[in-house]
Amino acid sequence: MSRLSLVVAGIDDTVPDVRRLVLAPADGGELPSYTPGSHLVLDVPSGPGRERALANAYSLVGESLHPSSYEIAVLRCDPRGGAAGGSAWVHALRTGDPVTATTPRSSFAPVQPATRHLLVAAGIGITPLVSHLRFHARWGREAELLYLHREGRGAFITEIDDLTDGSASCFHDRVSLLARLRERLLDQPIGTHLYTCGPTGFMDLVVAEAQAAGWPSSRVHLEHFGLDDLDPGEPFDVTVGEQCFEIASGVSLLEAMEKQGYAVPNLCRQGVCGECRLELGPATTGVWHRDLYLSDDDKAAGDCAMACVSRALPAADGRAHLEVLL
Amino acid sequence: MTSPVTASAPHPPHYTSVPDWTREPVVQPADPLGRVHTVIEVVGEDPAATAPVVAGWVAGLDGRDVRHRACPDTAAAVAALEADLVTAKVGHRVLVAGSADACLAVRAAGVRGGLADDEMAFGVVSVETRTVWCVHCSAATVAKLALDDVVACSGCERGLLVYPHVSRRTGRHLGFMVDAEEA
Repeated sequence: MSRLSLVVAGIDDTVPDVRRLVLAPADGGELPSYTPGSHLVLDVPSGPGRERALANAYSLVGESLHPSSYEIAVLRCDPRGGAAGGSAWVHALRTGDPVTATTPRSSFAPVQPATRHLLVAAGIGITPLVSHLRFHARWGREAELLYLHREGRGAFITEIDDLTDGSASCFHDRVSLLARLRERLLDQPIGTHLYTCGPTGFMDLVVAEAQAAGWPSSRVHLEHFGLDDLDPGEPFDVTVGEQCFEIASGVSLLEAMEKQGYAVPNLCRQGVCGECRLELGPATTGVWHRDLYLSDDDKAAGDCAMACVSRALPAADGRAHLEVLL
Repeated sequence: MTSPVTASAPHPPHYTSVPDWTREPVVQPADPLGRVHTVIEVVGEDPAATAPVVAGWVAGLDGRDVRHRACPDTAAAVAALEADLVTAKVGHRVLVAGSADACLAVRAAGVRGGLADDEMAFGVVSVETRTVWCVHCSAATVAKLALDDVVACSGCERGLLVYPHVSRRTGRHLGFMVDAEEA
């Protein structure tokens, strides 16, 4: 996987607990263009408070065509509250610090044939939708934004105002947002698509409201934050061919396999994209899938798993094992 | 007009663009999650065939906003659907009862009007007739045809192979000269 060498070129801490970071190419020049809604995966080195290196995905919020820099916005998440430490690392970066990242990856693009776009964001979930709004403003697409944030903690308020000509609706409590959402879901012309990003519980509410209003699933699109919400899980062991190794609690199968030198194709690293699907052999004791990609039938078959989020379930004798077939 | 399918012709795989319901009559269920349902009945030559399909759907959607449009032919059905879609909101579902040929044409109008695949369902009562679009002269030929048959083009009289591909935008099968390399 190709990596970009970047440096921190700008830091904006104006909004409490939200750090906006401008990343420029270390050797100058232009960066690859990207599809609106894309994210970067930053390499977070191990260090104080982080036993192991992390790979954290952050939505790109800046200009997507021929950018000379990339911009992300990262919410401060306290490791004492259970965060893995990637956010704390970003909040400690200083101008000029080197950062490596993947090239942008797209898993939450605006649907091209859509005639209209309804965007629903909560908190830092606004980030991929800012990128959508830039795209809609540029191409004159119809878009409507409902944005839930704590009072005084809204990120991108000025940009959103500019990009939507002041038509965006901001809310400071879930009840008023949901009341407005309920009305708006009933009044969207056919051809409209719905996009939501925010904490999982929030997106579950948005999806439930859309279903109740008769929206088919093909019109509803979610961007998950991913692993933050996942339980670290119990340790288990894995065999790959002749090799056997143990996966510690809090370490993903994907991370462990990469450490052993296996190149597992992957994209989102949060159970969404399906890239890191592995075939499993009969010695597998059981699979705790946790991904958002496999169908119910796939999961029931128990012969495949997503390396980034799936773990072994123990058999009756307490042994938890995955047999990976490469 | 037609030649029999040769014994060696493979059955088209399920991943082609030709829907299963054009190979044998299938009545898909109505989606109870929809708020408003347009039921297009393309009566055609056999009203006795479509009536029970529509009755089944309407009974299953009891209490919901159902708009039944009985249409004498495909052109009227397309016009009725286009009229309904002008004011349709997300939450709308479209059900089409008729021949597979009529269903493909109405589906194409739905696709052009912005409907998604999971907003449309079909109740197919016959699969004998297909419309073939000629890549050479753009004429459409309507005849009783199976996939892989050969039919004389109504525009240029070339012998067209009915290829297992249907345009989502027009609802017509792709047809091209069967022996172009030899001729």
